[in-house]
Amino acid sequence: MNWKIETDEIVRRRRLALDQGGPDAIAKHHKKGRLTIRERINKLLDTGSFEEVGPAAGTANHDENGELTGFDPANFVLGFGKVDGRRIVVGGEDFTMRGGSPSPAGLRKSVYAEELAVQYKIPLVRLHEGSGGSVGGTSGKAQSLPGPVNAPARFRSVAQAMATVPVATAALGAVAGLPAGRLVASHFSVMSKSTAQILTAGPAVVARAMGEQKTKEELGGWKVHTKNGTVDNGADNETDCLTEIRKFLSFMPDNINQLAPVIDCEDPIDRTDETLLNIVPRDRRQAFDMRRIITSVLDQTSFFEMGAGYGRSQITGLARLNGQPVGVWANNCKFLAGSMTTDGAHKARRFMELCETFSLPIISLVDEPGFMIGSQAEREATIRHGTSAVLTAAMTTVPWASVMVRRSFGVAQAAHYGPEGFVLAWPSAESGPLPVEGGVAVAFQREIAAAPDPEARRRELEEQLAARQSPFPRAEALGVHDLVDPRQTRLELCRWVDRVQHLLPALLGPSNFFIRP
Amino acid sequence: MIKIELETGGSVWKVLTKPGDQVEAGDTLFILEVMKMEVPYEAPVSGEVTSVHINEGDAVEEDQLAVEISD
Repeated sequence: MNWKIETDEIVRRRRLALDQGGPDAIAKHHKKGRLTIRERINKLLDTGSFEEVGPAAGTANHDENGELTGFDPANFVLGFGKVDGRRIVVGGEDFTMRGGSPSPAGLRKSVYAEELAVQYKIPLVRLHEGSGGSVGGTSGKAQSLPGPVNAPARFRSVAQAMATVPVATAALGAVAGLPAGRLVASHFSVMSKSTAQILTAGPAVVARAMGEQKTKEELGGWKVHTKNGTVDNGADNETDCLTEIRKFLSFMPDNINQLAPVIDCEDPIDRTDETLLNIVPRDRRQAFDMRRIITSVLDQTSFFEMGAGYGRSQITGLARLNGQPVGVWANNCKFLAGSMTTDGAHKARRFMELCETFSLPIISLVDEPGFMIGSQAEREATIRHGTSAVLTAAMTTVPWASVMVRRSFGVAQAAHYGPEGFVLAWPSAESGPLPVEGGVAVAFQREIAAAPDPEARRRELEEQLAARQSPFPRAEALGVHDLVDPRQTRLELCRWVDRVQHLLPALLGPSNFFIRP
Repeated sequence: MIKIELETGGSVWKVLTKPGDQVEAGDTLFILEVMKMEVPYEAPVSGEVTSVHINEGDAVEEDQLAVEISD
């Protein structure tokens, strides 16, 4: 007598588990243009690399003779797998069962995802499509016992994961309640524009509580959430979301105790781009394309922008410099003159926290006119959020290289320079307490008014002061490390990144602060 | 049909195109003034300008439709 009966049953249960919510539910799901969770996982991972955790978790159904008649798997699929040869933890709700609302075993597996990633010290990817609990409880029957007072704090592992390993998430269908909270508890999040909505609560709950009649898309579609920073990026479809996650992970170390992977760089460090000589117009009122500078200076095609739709006066992303992963932050003068707005400051703070958490050097391209001003900015508490960004920069320990591209003014500019940072100035750089136009009008108000030709006097004063804001006197006073021909920026930054390489190992481990949503 | 919508509010400083114009990708279509900065909007594609919904001096708002191009 051997154990063949039991091993056969294991095989049978495995097979039944792969049926997920059954052929009808899967067909319905496909018809909506969406993949099942198992298809999503396979698409994300290197072929054949998925090693499932807890495939036997679920509910077995038996007939009166005790024979197995069916098996409902936990509706959260979890496991290990590889992305570009590197191991990760991956998991996601199975929407074909109970609309992704957790079954008892499903809930257990879902909260295990963060714990596994922290335990094995490897990145976590969550592929969300599901809702939170229901008042009926996870069993759908009577409420089970509530957790005891000495149960581990529910969200501790979620926070710990963010402080320990890279966490990347995608919203691939409707994501509401607890999964929505976990979606944003990540270092990078992306939503599918064609299939996803993110909802604190869905239309029915909103209608009942507030009398507001809105569709899921109106409440929480991509137009809402890529603009308010709930997610970092929007992608056209599920496949593009997975591509973005793979790209994000390519810049990340496995955990805070390792350095981000340096790759061989085919882009010469002394590559020069002639257009940088005239990209910043001499007329200070004319805007220029900062993204063009970013893509020119960094390793070609390496720039991965995060949060382009949110806090748009600031540009943040990851890239490589001679193969070394770096964080890139720049002002976008085409949006509110590149000023530090409330949402721009929040985005910048999160970006610095990400770099600090994973010991990524920061490249800062500065064109900062100052905090956003005016009544709306005051209502949005710009000074508080802006100062938060400034103090975050002051507490970072990662190496910084800042390039003064054009303006660097006010308190806000301090956010763009790290402690003991390396500073280069382009000839177009101008810096001071505030831009001359506003500053002259205030400081010389009486003198201008008393002049025989006030307008001429104002212009004269502006020109005098603008000359003082030039980078040459600043360089004479060692106020910058060097003046640089814009075309040499790449070379100078690549040399700098080489100089700071050996500082990076000492930064490993927990940082002064870590990133919070 | 390509719709060009405004990234920010501001005022329209110059309109450099009119319906019927043939434009090349990269041509400047109009310039907004935002926070004392001149912000040019370029044609994302080559094609014919079919309509222009802004006038010089207009106060404009974010997301407003400015120009349509048929490519």
